[in-house]
Amino acid sequence: MESKKKHKVFVEGPISPPFIADAIAKHNSKTNIGAHSLFLGQVRNDRVGEQEVVAIEYTSYQEMADDKFYEIREDAFKKFPLICMHIYHSLGLVKSGEISLFVFTSSVHRKEAIAACEWIVERIKNEVPVWGKEILSNETSQWKLNT
Amino acid sequence: MHILANYLTEFKNSNMEISVLVFGQITDITGKGSLKFTDIKSTGELYQLLLKTYPQLESIKYLMAVNKKIIHENTMLMDEDTIALLPPFSGG
Repeated sequence: MESKKKHKVFVEGPISPPFIADAIAKHNSKTNIGAHSLFLGQVRNDRVGEQEVVAIEYTSYQEMADDKFYEIREDAFKKFPLICMHIYHSLGLVKSGEISLFVFTSSVHRKEAIAACEWIVERIKNEVPVWGKEILSNETSQWKLNT
Repeated sequence: MHILANYLTEFKNSNMEISVLVFGQITDITGKGSLKFTDIKSTGELYQLLLKTYPQLESIKYLMAVNKKIIHENTMLMDEDTIALLPPFSGG
């Protein structure tokens, strides 16, 4: 079963659009899939006073994060009738406009894929030990707060 | 014999070492990502020592994890435990 695989979640730097396209293409052979749901988190150029966010630098407690990603994955397969799921999260520098989180769920029908995708994103935001440092246009920085 | 036993206990205690991993905004306060402490017996004791060493921690909300598991109450520590200081997560 796909759920037993402990795949690598963290990627260094941004997640590129061709990588995402390729991830979709790889599912051509799984013809029992009827629906994919994708979430893409993009670094936003928030205004901070006179400055704006030009990039986010991500760091993680990687050992704990890997355990957490695995737990979320196992739970997602128990909770939703998924055919497969993939999570990719950036580490290091990701510029505004680039993708830092990619969650990809697939199922027979749309509702399960959509619900699972949202549920996984919320769990990642709340439970995975990753921190974003916002780099501002004047080269100062501040720690990101998730809303 | 008694004295020797005491000595051995002391010796053993003084060898107890824990690692503290520091993340996010807390690294701005400690200036480094990992710290070592000896003879700390509980997370409560560690919390107090950290506060004394880095008074700015007072204003930071954070959780502790012992060997990758988040704890919510005072927890006894063992030799070679790894404690992580986790400010609010901001991934994604």
